[in-house]
Amino acid sequence: MTTTRDPNKFWNPYLAGVALGLVLLAAFAIEGKGLGASGAWFRAGVAGVQAVAPGHVQATPAFRAATEGGSPLDDYMVFLMVGVVLGGFVAAYTSGRLGLEVLKGPNISTAGRLAMALGGGALMGLGAKFARGCASGQALTGGALMSAGAWAFMGVFFGGGYALAYFVRRAWR
Amino acid sequence: MNHLLPFTSLAVEQRELGLVVAVLIGFGFGFVLERAGFGRAQKLIGQFLLSEMTVLKVMFGAVATAMVGSVAMGGLGLFDLRAVADSASSATWLWPMVVGGFVVGMGFVISSYCPGTSVVAMASGKIDGLFTVLGVILGSLVAGELLSIPAVAAFNDSSFLGHLYLYDLLGVPAAVVAIAVALVAVAAFVGAEKLEAIFGGEGRPDSPARPRRAVFATLVGLGALGLVTLAFPRPTPAATAGPVTITAEALARRLFDEPWSVRVLDLRAKEACFARRVPGSECTPPEALKALSLADLTGARDLVVVGEGDLAALPGEITAYPGKVLALRQGFAGWTAWALTPPAPLPASATAAEREAWKVRAGVSAAMTGVKQAPPPAAPAGGAAPAKRKAGGGGCSG
Repeated sequence: MTTTRDPNKFWNPYLAGVALGLVLLAAFAIEGKGLGASGAWFRAGVAGVQAVAPGHVQATPAFRAATEGGSPLDDYMVFLMVGVVLGGFVAAYTSGRLGLEVLKGPNISTAGRLAMALGGGALMGLGAKFARGCASGQALTGGALMSAGAWAFMGVFFGGGYALAYFVRRAWR
Repeated sequence: MNHLLPFTSLAVEQRELGLVVAVLIGFGFGFVLERAGFGRAQKLIGQFLLSEMTVLKVMFGAVATAMVGSVAMGGLGLFDLRAVADSASSATWLWPMVVGGFVVGMGFVISSYCPGTSVVAMASGKIDGLFTVLGVILGSLVAGELLSIPAVAAFNDSSFLGHLYLYDLLGVPAAVVAIAVALVAVAAFVGAEKLEAIFGGEGRPDSPARPRRAVFATLVGLGALGLVTLAFPRPTPAATAGPVTITAEALARRLFDEPWSVRVLDLRAKEACFARRVPGSECTPPEALKALSLADLTGARDLVVVGEGDLAALPGEITAYPGKVLALRQGFAGWTAWALTPPAPLPASATAAEREAWKVRAGVSAAMTGVKQAPPPAAPAGGAAPAKRKAGGGGCSG
């Protein structure tokens, strides 16, 4: 590892915000689409279900909708997500932040942290399906396009977060 | 009005290229998220513990940048802001989005990631990121199962407001909203710096002042540019009144030449549609649209809707479709007049293009009515051979 890599050095948040905004603008201008994450993972899940129980996918309207265009994985959002994995990997490698570990606070066990990660992820997957998107699909994409629903989403998203923050702070301090 | 952007061909004819570009955009997305520190749970949860405001700075900065950028590009005529917004963002179902957003916010605080940042954490080797991704998959599958319960599905489809934008609600031009948001963002950044000074303590991240000022100035400047473009001459709003239409002939050609690229929905009453309809179309009266979940589809195919006559406005379920939506000009009446009425014979002086159009129409009409038309008058000697076309009957005859 070279000495120039400092795992604790991040981009200036304002410049990172502008850079993220330009990526988003590129998605609008080139593809006429936005950024998103939850949709791709739903499709990945449906692909998994299809591998073991194809009949069940056809019998479940929400799953069937993901197979409309053929394979559930044949979708813009899924390819976008492949790029996110690659981009995240390259950025982590070149910044010296790549490494197998569990990120957690000092007062929580590894198993406890992983359980919270799984449970919190499940809540997000559940909520995002009803909200038609997550922080990237609604707050970023819809927010930038001035969608009224996206701004309502943003308000309750931070509301839900701050409502619960008091109870989870021990996990990090 | 035709706009240079976005490259709509990337969704249909050049779909593979579009997907390659999607990987590149995703790469930029993941790279920036990682470099902003969003692959680290501590940096994200800091927003909710008030120890650092990186999430607010990056997210609000990105939203303001993309907003003023897209307003400026729209103002310069590079793309149609509303059309891009309709295709890139979801329509509004107010209550499901409010409840869902609250649940996502709670999940964020519990896992310390959002669905996007957990992927970046996973890609940088963080096992808690991987578990969050697995949780997202599980949770969305559970939601998919729950949607099979009629009451849940009804809630999920409730309070549908279509594509509703802040500039519609406030009744002001989009550029005004954009500059207001940019100013609010700058004010929020100043407030965030103050909060970090109070709660951040020793370990608070420093954001050097010079780039900060540059970003603030650029945001305000771009917002001003968006305002300036308001003064540019633009076509009258009449051009946007009513849905985009497609002629019966253009529809017939697409049905024969590339049936996979269109999906035709007949919005007329079921009985009328069952009796006679455009070949290959589905009988979907307005009350049946909900069941099609159009908003959840990929939008790869263009949607053509057929009414009795011209459609003044499209149902919300249709406008929620992520792909292109076209209304058949003059509706089924237009189709009857064009496809079900034999064309008048051509004069011998007809041009090759007229001959070609006549043959298509005669073919469609023959296929639809079973009445064969007399062949067109012979092409003038020495003229180009008539273009070969698939016989009108095709596989789509009704």
